[in-house]
Amino acid sequence: MRLKRIFSMAWENMKQRRLRAFLTTLGVVIGITAIIALASLGEGFRVSITERMEQGFELDVLTLIPGTLFAGMKEPFTDSEVANITKVSNVSAATPVMQIGSVILYNGDKNVTAFVGAAVNFTEFAEEVYPDRFRFEEGAMPEQIKNDTLIIGYKVNHINETEPAFAHPNDTVTMTLTINYTIFRNFNFTVAGTLQKTGTAGLTSFDYWVFIPLETARKIYDTNSSDLIFVKVSNPDFSETVAEEIEALFPPYRLTVLVPLTFIQQVNSILNMVEIFLTSVASIALLVAGIGIMNIMTVSVMERTREIGILKAVGAKSRTILTMFLAEAALIGIVGSLTGVPIGYGLAHVLSYVLSGFVTPQQNHVFQRPEVERAAVTPIFSWEWAIIAVIFGILICILFGLYPARKAAKLDPVEALRYE
Amino acid sequence: MAALLEAKGLNKTYRMGKVLVPALREITFDVKEGEFVAVFGPSGSGKSTLLHLLGGLDRPDEGEVSIDGISFSTLNNNELAEVRLRKIGFVFQFFNLLPRLNALRNVELPLTLADLPEKESIKKAEDMLKLVGLEDRMNHKPSEMSGGEQQRVAMARALINDPKIVLADEPTGNLDTTTGGEIVQLLKRLNKEKKQTFVVVTHDPAIAETADRIIYLKDGLVQRVKERRD
Repeated sequence: MRLKRIFSMAWENMKQRRLRAFLTTLGVVIGITAIIALASLGEGFRVSITERMEQGFELDVLTLIPGTLFAGMKEPFTDSEVANITKVSNVSAATPVMQIGSVILYNGDKNVTAFVGAAVNFTEFAEEVYPDRFRFEEGAMPEQIKNDTLIIGYKVNHINETEPAFAHPNDTVTMTLTINYTIFRNFNFTVAGTLQKTGTAGLTSFDYWVFIPLETARKIYDTNSSDLIFVKVSNPDFSETVAEEIEALFPPYRLTVLVPLTFIQQVNSILNMVEIFLTSVASIALLVAGIGIMNIMTVSVMERTREIGILKAVGAKSRTILTMFLAEAALIGIVGSLTGVPIGYGLAHVLSYVLSGFVTPQQNHVFQRPEVERAAVTPIFSWEWAIIAVIFGILICILFGLYPARKAAKLDPVEALRYE
Repeated sequence: MAALLEAKGLNKTYRMGKVLVPALREITFDVKEGEFVAVFGPSGSGKSTLLHLLGGLDRPDEGEVSIDGISFSTLNNNELAEVRLRKIGFVFQFFNLLPRLNALRNVELPLTLADLPEKESIKKAEDMLKLVGLEDRMNHKPSEMSGGEQQRVAMARALINDPKIVLADEPTGNLDTTTGGEIVQLLKRLNKEKKQTFVVVTHDPAIAETADRIIYLKDGLVQRVKERRD
């Protein structure tokens, strides 16, 4: 018997028992809805986290730290080490950075604390390594870097958005530096520019940074070394191989290379696992629906025993009977899954809306991440998940329909005809 | 003329709990093409069991049934179903129509199973319903038809695949005398006009009397065979 006719007969059969067909299908709808809702929320969650991380980590910049976390040996980098790194293939720039700790700035009667004081080679740092990050709100990168050049991050300049800015270009600002942990000394700097929001949640937010020239800091601290090296890679895809090549240049435990891509990949794989875990929990609903189908179909086979006997007497093969019942199960699966996908996606939006109500807006304090205004996650529809869910839904139905369908196919025609 | 249907030494025993009940013993006979044979006997004589064996719905413990030269014992269940589909038509006492299908779809069912294109099968089913006098009841469901009408639908279904033989089990057993008489007339007419071969199991003397041959069955044994002489 042709499959098309079998399906049209199965459809007719289901139409005759509308309520039963509806309730059985509802089980499948709920299962698929749960899977799709969680999957699209999970997907949205993952994408928003990844996006934030990609904003936070400049993917093509590696950060080199002297020593390792456990082995110590944290001697600062020398300039010749920096020069060696520049020679590694696919490295487009390497620049040394000195950390001068947190500093206090005075401008007239105003003062402010900058959490990160950094001494950099402005040309290399701003123009080669972070060309997209150094956007000035006021002022500009001076053509001739002087000893007293100072650039101020957005949040240092605007601790409170409602109050006037701390400093403007050409202001003279006094900076208190801590030398050898005990000695405080004041130095005067001239503001060259103030930065726009870099607006990130990750490593490379310059909002709390102030920058002074590397040479100035080296004179003050009487050193020729640097605490960090920032390495720009020509393409983020090379970041891992470049990291390996850099590590190979140095003795063991000399340095640690932070590769942002690795962080993101790890976070991504964790989020993937969470997503799969959530959807497998949702699949339990589908399993319950499958058992419901098995239950209803077993009853249905009993009710239709005589009908099956008639079909067999007229000449239906066992395989035809089997296919007829499996077609009904498959129809439940097809209708249920296809209905469940859009409902699930809709539910994800509802859930995301409801969940966002529980997140109280953050106060505008120093540590606020400017771009995070609403913690709600926008669900993302993924065709991949939709197709997987539909196939899974249909398979579950067929699988659980198999037992009753086989029971029907195996009925003895004479006994089935006698069945009242 | 060669026999269309041959039954040789059929034995069938049922097990009722621990007791073995012999239903048929050493049944041997044959049916020629175009013959109208009645198997006559009281209830419990093994008539229905015999019909099930002849129709390949059940298998004998011993003995052999063959139709059109095809021996049933050599066939598996699927092949047997194929023989039922192509060569045998069944008419039952309780009509056994599919309750959710209308008359037309019920009659069409064997053609659907035989993979005939829908257009063709519907045309054939319509013609067959006309033949049994139900042209105006085609779209009625079994529950909307009288017993006589349902039995006509069942007969149309039995005949639709142009079977070699029609096996009828008490076709008038659930009908009143008048309607039963009409069904008998229809059987006879098909036998005469279309040379359709019939084996009818009955305890209704009215059918038996019209048969070419009557096989008297009692306690699973053939008592005697009576040929009609016109």
